[in-house]
Amino acid sequence: MIELKNISITLSENTILDNVSLTIEKGLNTIVLGPSGAGKSSILKIILGLWVPDSGEVLFEGRNVCKMTNDEILQLRKKVGMVFQGNALFDSLTVAENILYFLPDKKKLSENELRRKIDELLSFVNLSGTENLYPEELSGGMKKRVAIARALAFNPEVILFDEPTTGLDPINTESVLELIKKLKQNGTTSVIVTHILDDAIEVGDNFIVINEGKIVETGSLDKIVTSQNPFVQEFFKRFAKGNHNQFVRISKEVL
Amino acid sequence: MIYGLQEFSLLIKDIFVHLGSVRDNWSETVQEMYLIGTKSFFLILLGGLFTGVILAIETGHQLETFGATAWIAKTVSLGMVRELGPVIAGLLLAARTGAKNTSELGAMQLSEQIDALKAFGASPIEKLVIPRTIAAVTMFLPLTLIADIVGIVGGMLVSYQTFHSDIPVFWNTAIISLKMKDLFVGFLKPFFFGFFIATISCYFGLTTKGGTTGLGKNTINAVVYSSALVLVIDFIFTKVVWELL
Repeated sequence: MIELKNISITLSENTILDNVSLTIEKGLNTIVLGPSGAGKSSILKIILGLWVPDSGEVLFEGRNVCKMTNDEILQLRKKVGMVFQGNALFDSLTVAENILYFLPDKKKLSENELRRKIDELLSFVNLSGTENLYPEELSGGMKKRVAIARALAFNPEVILFDEPTTGLDPINTESVLELIKKLKQNGTTSVIVTHILDDAIEVGDNFIVINEGKIVETGSLDKIVTSQNPFVQEFFKRFAKGNHNQFVRISKEVL
Repeated sequence: MIYGLQEFSLLIKDIFVHLGSVRDNWSETVQEMYLIGTKSFFLILLGGLFTGVILAIETGHQLETFGATAWIAKTVSLGMVRELGPVIAGLLLAARTGAKNTSELGAMQLSEQIDALKAFGASPIEKLVIPRTIAAVTMFLPLTLIADIVGIVGGMLVSYQTFHSDIPVFWNTAIISLKMKDLFVGFLKPFFFGFFIATISCYFGLTTKGGTTGLGKNTINAVVYSSALVLVIDFIFTKVVWELL
């Protein structure tokens, strides 16, 4: 569905991505895993056409995003929702206004239809009754769920999550992960960028491990866990130190 | 520097290309007009009043030695309408509106809200820059007019109190002294000031990077460049446009 071919990008003389190629399959949760500063978020910005790579191609349903006109990119962005790492909610707008802000053709909808849309989206993310609150009145987990509701307002085919659980407590982390699973059941394709292995394993179908702008491993969980790549082994080893029981469970499940 | 000028020129080009979008973002434009107009009102009132008062005191003392205090009215009136009214209003608004625009847009840039706009298919130029530019261009004229009027009134009060001028005579002289050319130049300047203050401050806001330090630096740059440009544009009007008319 989405394919990146030989993507390289350099910003301020720093190589962000170096000859990256990957495929995101329809209806699955693809995890982009790696340490902070590895270039994970750049992949999302390139898919959305926010950043233009120095070389390579981004194919969305077979069409090259890099060669699209502005209007075509705007149309593409209506098929792809994004949940930003810092949520990027507008402080001066209420929850309902944030969700409706980008809704296309909202002027054609009646007051009742708009209200129904908001109720539906807030109910999906378990935040019914918060429509009149401002972002500053919400907890970190609630903000994240509003950001997800906003991304869903378009009924996108693909949702890009940038570090969706970073900085959240375990309960909020769990509710965000449940939402990602629920989206998959509804047929939505998700790309989840994270450095938290625990969360990646819980929701991921396909895994892409990236380090210093290069892809070091791709495949299913069992392929990643048994990888002979030294970086991937080190990444899992460090994860195992802090999450011994979890790692033992995963290893038993996979091996 | 050259790269910055190039980017700024592209921003200005984009503003003109997408100017029609103001119809779709009318509520944002009105909101910005309200923020510039009402929130700057007392600042402009004070700035204009004290500029007129000081101008009347300084010129009054000099003219008094020649027994020509009747000329205070003409000096204050022409000084306020042609030069000081627009420049003082421009400088105060460069600080207030410029800092507001850069800090708002810069904070949005740092918190990925600008990226969010783009990601959801909206244009930051249409949603953020054009409403601010239209609001500045339209609101700077009435604010300058207020600065001019309160400046002349301030000069009149000083003239009456300190130099014992007759109020109706002062007012008549002040009004009669103003020619169409004075009004034209004095009221044309705010449009240019408004346009450049808004675009410079939006440019610095949208190009903010480097966290809160970068935001502080860009806010200072926006105010400094806007203020400097107000003075440069004023010089161009005084020297070039005035002579051409």
